[in-house]
Amino acid sequence: MVSKHDLIKGSSNSLLLSLLAGQSMYGYQIVKELETRSQGYFKFKEGTLYPALHRLEKAGLITGNWQMLPNGRQRRYYQITAKGQAELNEEKVQWQDFLIAIKMILQPEPSRI
Amino acid sequence: MAPELTQYLENIRGKAKLGPADESGVMSELRAHIEDRVDELTESGMTEEEALKTCLGQMGSTKMIARQIYEAYSQGSWKQVLMASMPHLLFGGLFVLNWWHYPGWLSIILVLILATAVFGWSRGKPTWLFPWLGYTLLPVLAAGILLLYVPAGWSWLALPFYIPLALWWLFHVIVQTTRRDWLLSTAMLLPFPIIAGWFLAISPSGKINEDSLQRLSYLAPWIGLSFLIMAATTATFIRLRQRSLRVGLLAASGMLTLMLVVYYSTGRFAIATFLGLALVMCGLFLTPPLLEHYLARKRRRTLPDKKMRLA
Repeated sequence: MVSKHDLIKGSSNSLLLSLLAGQSMYGYQIVKELETRSQGYFKFKEGTLYPALHRLEKAGLITGNWQMLPNGRQRRYYQITAKGQAELNEEKVQWQDFLIAIKMILQPEPSRI
Repeated sequence: MAPELTQYLENIRGKAKLGPADESGVMSELRAHIEDRVDELTESGMTEEEALKTCLGQMGSTKMIARQIYEAYSQGSWKQVLMASMPHLLFGGLFVLNWWHYPGWLSIILVLILATAVFGWSRGKPTWLFPWLGYTLLPVLAAGILLLYVPAGWSWLALPFYIPLALWWLFHVIVQTTRRDWLLSTAMLLPFPIIAGWFLAISPSGKINEDSLQRLSYLAPWIGLSFLIMAATTATFIRLRQRSLRVGLLAASGMLTLMLVVYYSTGRFAIATFLGLALVMCGLFLTPPLLEHYLARKRRRTLPDKKMRLA
């Protein structure tokens, strides 16, 4: 059986790109948003988020910019690039095909049984 | 900053082995994340100590984070591959094309190596710099060999200057490289047992004469080939992400090239010489990690003092 950890690992790029497609976010905000939107399902070791973000940045799918807050702290906001958006669109199609295929096996239509 | 947090970030910093340009950004980002989480947890009623402990648990082990950061940053671009392989290619070309006996070409390559090493050093020591840096040790070796030809008596005057200076440069380059990553030191020094092997193959007595020059002409294509193998090794090293694969690649390539030297030296090596070279090759994989361990311990010891002085 595929573990939850492997599922998250395998879909981390799509999840991160999808979140950043809506708005630019910083690391901690991404963790909170993932937790909230998935109702706690996507809970992972938070330190591993940054290597994943940096891999996406190196691949040119997202960009990061430091911003100074009024309290003097600095945060790095990430936003999706055009290349990242194209990659996300492709991954969405793949996910949809995958979900349809899974559904056809797990919940077959009565006429096909 | 709490000592636990300092230690946590220091552990990641030590194992992630990033260049200075990336290191401060990555560490600041992790620190900002931890501070945000600790603030949230303390607002929910935890003490600062409890909050930090919980937060570090949620962050994950330093070893895992550092490994993932290393793999995210370790792969160099194709431009870096070309830059890093270039010094091996230049020396390879020098021998394959049999241009080694033109002092002009050799001088041009040495000047290029020194200039590129200075340029890379001033640009934050990118990964492509380290093979070039290794070759800056060649003029030091060459000067040592030339001292053998200085008239008797003069060499005793030159040695007190040469030996400390050569050792200082060797030590300085190795320590600076090992501070970043011991594996870069190993990659940087990898050509030296090979070069020493070829030198002993053409001139077992250590002195260059007519016979050794003839032998050099005969062996030049194979010497060139060994440099080209090192260029290919460096190129693959730069592209690999996983550290264990990088170690395996350097070890396999080092031993393979040494075997090539022994094979083509056709019986000019005594068993003791071969064992000595193999031992030096093994030393390249043992000494830098030990030195790194020592430097890291020294850094950890001085870290609290530095923080206190800053406070």
